[in-house]
Amino acid sequence: MYGDQGFTIFDLQLWAEGLGITFGVFLSSSILGLIFGSIIGLIRYYNIIGIGRVLMLGSEFLKNSPVLVQLFLVYFGIPALFTIDLSPVEAAIITLSGNTAAFIAVIVISSIDAIDKKQLEAARSFALSEWQILRLIIYPQSLAFAMPMFVSLAINQLQVTSLVSVIGVVDLTRVGDIINQRTFEPFIVWPIIGVTYFVLAKLVERIGARLEQRFSVHQASSEI
Amino acid sequence: MLDPAVMMEYMPAFWDGFIVTAEVSILSIIGSFIIGLLIALLRISENKVCRFAALFYVDIFRNIPFLVLIFFAYYGLPEVGIYIDAFWTGCFTLSIAVAAYVAETIRAGIQNIDKGIIEAAKSFGFKRVQIYTKIILPIAITSSIRPLGSVFINLILTTSILSAITLGELTSASKIIASTTFRPFEVYMFLVIFYGVLTFALSAVIAGWHKYLNRYNEA
Amino acid sequence: MIEIHDLHKDFGDLKVLKGVDLKIKPGEVVSILGGSGSGKSTLIRCINGLEKITSGSIFVDDFDVRNKKDLMEIRKRCSTVFQQFDLYPHLSVLDNIALAPINVLKQNKKDAKIKAMELLRSVELEEKASVYPAQLSGGQKQRIGICRALAMEPNYLLLDEVTSSLDPEMTAEVLVILKKLAKEGITMISVTHEIGFAQEISDRIVFLDEGKILQNLSKDEFFSDEGGKSDPRIAKFLSKMGNQ
Ligand SMILES: Nc1ncnc2c1ncn2[C@@H]1O[C@H](COP(=O)(O)OP(=O)(O)OP(=O)(O)O)[C@@H](O)[C@H]1O
Ligand SMILES: [Mg+2]
Repeated sequence: MYGDQGFTIFDLQLWAEGLGITFGVFLSSSILGLIFGSIIGLIRYYNIIGIGRVLMLGSEFLKNSPVLVQLFLVYFGIPALFTIDLSPVEAAIITLSGNTAAFIAVIVISSIDAIDKKQLEAARSFALSEWQILRLIIYPQSLAFAMPMFVSLAINQLQVTSLVSVIGVVDLTRVGDIINQRTFEPFIVWPIIGVTYFVLAKLVERIGARLEQRFSVHQASSEI
Repeated sequence: MLDPAVMMEYMPAFWDGFIVTAEVSILSIIGSFIIGLLIALLRISENKVCRFAALFYVDIFRNIPFLVLIFFAYYGLPEVGIYIDAFWTGCFTLSIAVAAYVAETIRAGIQNIDKGIIEAAKSFGFKRVQIYTKIILPIAITSSIRPLGSVFINLILTTSILSAITLGELTSASKIIASTTFRPFEVYMFLVIFYGVLTFALSAVIAGWHKYLNRYNEA
Repeated sequence: MIEIHDLHKDFGDLKVLKGVDLKIKPGEVVSILGGSGSGKSTLIRCINGLEKITSGSIFVDDFDVRNKKDLMEIRKRCSTVFQQFDLYPHLSVLDNIALAPINVLKQNKKDAKIKAMELLRSVELEEKASVYPAQLSGGQKQRIGICRALAMEPNYLLLDEVTSSLDPEMTAEVLVILKKLAKEGITMISVTHEIGFAQEISDRIVFLDEGKILQNLSKDEFFSDEGGKSDPRIAKFLSKMGNQ
């Protein structure tokens, strides 16, 4: 039953815990997504064992279907098919990492493509190894190019984390839902939750702007 | 065991869900376009207060998760005496939220217009409103078909979130099918592929349309 | 009649026009010459109200540019042809020409289009009526630009370096049309770097230097050794232009 029980100090604690979960899910899926997305992008770029295309096709479906459905697929579908157990948090991190990776892979490929081909030919003519070319030429330049896209992806993915509440992860949105169901004060609860996300997003934006500056400066100085 | 045929029997229910998704999507695309257009105009207005208000709008709706917005609307509106069902709550909230992205896209389109063209129009004595309706908006919108298309495709994907407020759209329908068949993997896999193919087809149509409308434009 | 009195125009701290006095009578063809940055474009843009004047006055047929209502009337009477053509990219050539007559002068759509077609014929581009600006050459675009201005049946035609984005061949095709117009008696104020063209069509030459009118002479006087050329700055300008 709903009841007008008012807010308690525990709601604040709940809010803080939800914030922690949201941030944790965001951070871990961003890092995992960055790693896997880069690997997928590089596999595609070097066309290793011909699986690049398959991976990119998978990425397209992850980019072009609702994350909520992907969450259901992982949380309900995978345990049913493989008879394994997945906790909501595990399912959330798997899904969001995969989804983030799909976007990252596309960014990585377009950033590598943005590099002047002549430079790479020149580097090869100097007998640099492929690994050296990747590390010394492709990596710094494509990173500078990709950074703004990474930042806007991160801001977007932060909002996407709210969907994990639907499969039962007690993140910020779920905390909002719980408190709202109990107090029945939607005009207090949801604005607070909304502002929390807003502030988090601004924080990510700030940090992102710093990183962007850092890496573009890095590029400029390495060109001299 | 994977059983790909599991969906066959449930196609009518799936189709019903699809119709709801289509209805919400179409109404929200229209709604967000109209609101977005207004916000874009405010965003470039000469009045500081208008500009700031529009910027604030865009900033808010681009940085708060849609799920939070929809919960706010769904639980909040009855509190202020507005009783509308999940369908209309979804349409309004989607329209308002996606308008922020529409506004930014149209604004970019407007700012990309060569200033000389607008000055030429001014010099011929068009009124302000005419300059917008006859020159600026037609150019801005035609050149923004593709980015607007991606915004609207995102809108379509976002309608799935309306399942959280019990709207019987595609995702809701699939949830029911998944729990009756005990085949969630097949059902959701089918749904992912369905959305994927749908958005792929739509982007292809939009890209073609964009190309056609901009066939005579330089750049 | 265009009457400009003690016109000043500043852009922030930069004083671009510093007291310009100029009268242009109906039927006159006036060319404005002067070095780069002397304020020629700014002067034209003040007349059609694209720049707000800082002080002084401009009256076109007794309408005051500083008055909003009057400005709309002035814009109906003065049509401008631009250096960069600035045609409406989303409209066909015919619609480019007919848009202002229909929407500003409230002409009937059909009449406006018939009239636009006639103008197109006069510049030998009638076969381009349904084509879009991006499909035209520079010279063709500028001929359309002239048609667009003429469709307003303006009392005054303002031209700001209408051939400087064109190669010589295209310049020639545009100048032929302007010469014909000048002969037909339209009032023209033309900023140009084409000295030969100015000499051929103008009744009067105005030489602007650093925001002031240095000389305002009849064509013959301006190009005579005792007249305009006796001023060293003008002599230098003319020899520089002639050398190009
Ligand atoms: N909108 C503006 N803001 C600031 N300064 C301007 C602006 N428009 C023109 N100016 C300055 O005013 C001066 C005169 O410019 P104007 O365009 O009138 O020169 P012009 O005689 O037409 O030169 P040109 O032959 O190169 O076209 C220049 O120094 C220019 O930089
Ligand atoms: Mg100029």
